Amino acid sequence: MDTEVIIETKALRKTFRDFWHRPTVEAVKGLNLTVKRGEVFGLLGPNGSGKSTTIKMLLGLLHPTSGEIRMFGSAPSATAMKERIGYLPEVSYLHRFLTPRETLMYYASLFGMPKSEAAQRSRELITMVGLTQAANRPVGGFSKGMARRVGLAQALINAPELLILDEPTSGLDPIGCREVKDMVRMLAANGVSVLMTSHLLADVEDICDRVAVLAQGELRAEGRIAELLRQPEAVRYLVAGLSEEQSAALRRSIESQVGRPVQQDYPAMSLEAFFLQVIARDGEEQKFEMAPFLR
Amino acid sequence: MSYLRQIWGVMLLSLRAAIRAKMVIFLILAQVLCALVLPRVIKGDGTAAGELEILLTYALGLSFGIQALATLWSSCSLFASEISSFRIQLAVVKPVHFPIFWLGRWLALLLLNGVLLLFVYTIVYFQLRWVEQNQGWEPGIVPSALHVSPPILPTAKAEARQIYSMMQSKGELPEGLSEAEVLATLEEQAAERYDIINPGNEVVLNFQLARAVRKGENITLRFRFDTEYSTRAHVKGLCRLELQGQPTLFAEHQLESVTQNEIRLEFAADPFVAGATAGNSLRDFVVILKHTGADDKASALLLRFRQDVVLMIPGKTFESNLLRCALVQGSVLALLAAFGLTLSAVFSFPVAAFAATVVLALIMIGGGVLPLVSKEDEKKWENRMGVAVLRAMQSTTRHISEAKPLRSVVRGELIAQRNILISVFWNMGVLPLALAILACAALRRRELANV
Repeated sequence: MDTEVIIETKALRKTFRDFWHRPTVEAVKGLNLTVKRGEVFGLLGPNGSGKSTTIKMLLGLLHPTSGEIRMFGSAPSATAMKERIGYLPEVSYLHRFLTPRETLMYYASLFGMPKSEAAQRSRELITMVGLTQAANRPVGGFSKGMARRVGLAQALINAPELLILDEPTSGLDPIGCREVKDMVRMLAANGVSVLMTSHLLADVEDICDRVAVLAQGELRAEGRIAELLRQPEAVRYLVAGLSEEQSAALRRSIESQVGRPVQQDYPAMSLEAFFLQVIARDGEEQKFEMAPFLR
Repeated sequence: MSYLRQIWGVMLLSLRAAIRAKMVIFLILAQVLCALVLPRVIKGDGTAAGELEILLTYALGLSFGIQALATLWSSCSLFASEISSFRIQLAVVKPVHFPIFWLGRWLALLLLNGVLLLFVYTIVYFQLRWVEQNQGWEPGIVPSALHVSPPILPTAKAEARQIYSMMQSKGELPEGLSEAEVLATLEEQAAERYDIINPGNEVVLNFQLARAVRKGENITLRFRFDTEYSTRAHVKGLCRLELQGQPTLFAEHQLESVTQNEIRLEFAADPFVAGATAGNSLRDFVVILKHTGADDKASALLLRFRQDVVLMIPGKTFESNLLRCALVQGSVLALLAAFGLTLSAVFSFPVAAFAATVVLALIMIGGGVLPLVSKEDEKKWENRMGVAVLRAMQSTTRHISEAKPLRSVVRGELIAQRNILISVFWNMGVLPLALAILACAALRRRELANV
């Protein structure tokens, strides 16, 4: 992984005020964060912990009360820097009267992309997010999951170097969730940095390299997932192909050596993996393929 | 190139929004009603000229009013609705400068307005020609556009300064007023000032035509007298038109009319063209109006030189004038769109729409109210703020309707190129630019996300 810092916040603070300018909520309290190139960084925290506020300050949508933000070394308001960013908000705020194709063409135009290139990218992204059949229907009639896919596609139209995803899997079915997670991992492998928030801890655990846990606007924990979740006081061995007798003998042997009872269980697959396996058996598995321009 | 693509993208989005939200369809229906149904409903005075006035003034005027309000209110919603629905978040995180968002939307409104205006004008024009043919109107009822030349006079400002100096030398300056206040009052009065022609007296006015007169053309003198108490009085006199520099080359008409009637006198250009010496530009003329008086008791005639007397020669076709009128109205719509857009960048839709409507009403009534406010009333503290606001509005928007386009088309006066340029320069250039700067500053300051 590269050591180039993509996002850096120093003592970032945000206080919301009412009409009379009186402070109402201190949403973020002195946050220090760094995200490096190629890293998948997860922002975790309960509702109202300041995750979305932080993301919106990074994007220049909210103004910090104090502190500093550097995105690719620039201030969030720098227009040129925005060419390198893709953003998927918590709710896909799309124009209801546009079709997915028109939506993507519109956002491509905001990057000043030539029409032919924009059309090519739109086609590829629509195929990638599985909306080929609905490409010419107005987004207003879409389900939440379908709208989410359009939102995801618009975030990728510029082949961003930094992808900011606010609850990216919200509203998606398990297959869609898996695809998003696969996509995030593939993009990260190609050097794209990802900053994401999610309430679904399993999703974060699956794809993030590092996480920060926020609570009441404060940073409570930060680090690599493997390090944060490691329990050094216990050891687990995974042995395949043991019979009942062999397993019982092994357990007795360890118990006699450590002088304490030893817990024994069978590893279980996650519900998501089981679901995808069942779908695959029915021949309904959809193979996720990255859009060519993003590879 | 990249900026153009961005502008086009924003423009296309706004056009799609207008068309797919069916706003344009409702507007088209309203315009068709105005252009086709309204002239059939309103009763005229039975004359062809009356019918023409209904078609042009009422149909085009009302459809313009509807379009103006639709433009103002829809532009008030453009940024405001995107901000309140948080859709703007997805756009402003892209590498687009705020002026591009503003410009794209403004151009979309401009294009829509242009198409709608042309649509209405086309309907009214063909209706007019159809009525003209069906009712067998005489030639000349549908007026061609004449070049209008006012008399050569010092500007209102220069005249005010001149009168001020005269009053100063005589020690007649009013007490308690500053020089600027006296000059402002004199300047206001100069535009409306009546000059008195007593029986037996005459006035001499110099004119410069827009171009040289040609053989076969007519020179039209149009004027209107008034009396001291605006009563109807008999006008008897002599009107002479001379080619400047050649006083022997003239044409005369006997005046026999009443005050407050618009008097139109036609002079054939042929004698002037034929008799002009080499080097005469055939543009400079002298008009002498002599009040011979009906009898000994004849009252003095009043004439506002700056408003009520003009010399006219053939200019352009009716169609050309109608197009000029559309251009001036289009420029006003462009300004309204810019104003609404800027308000929508600052306020929510209801606040923006309310503010826009109030400002529009103040501008419209301000012109009528301000002249009624006396200097004494203006000085009262409770009136100061209101008068200052109205004055500022009048001053900022004085160029909006300088051309008075519909009136010119109906009266057959060519809308001068200068007036069109002034309208376009202010309504589509200077004022929208200032409004755009204001809107972008507001958008930069505002927090555009929900929390």
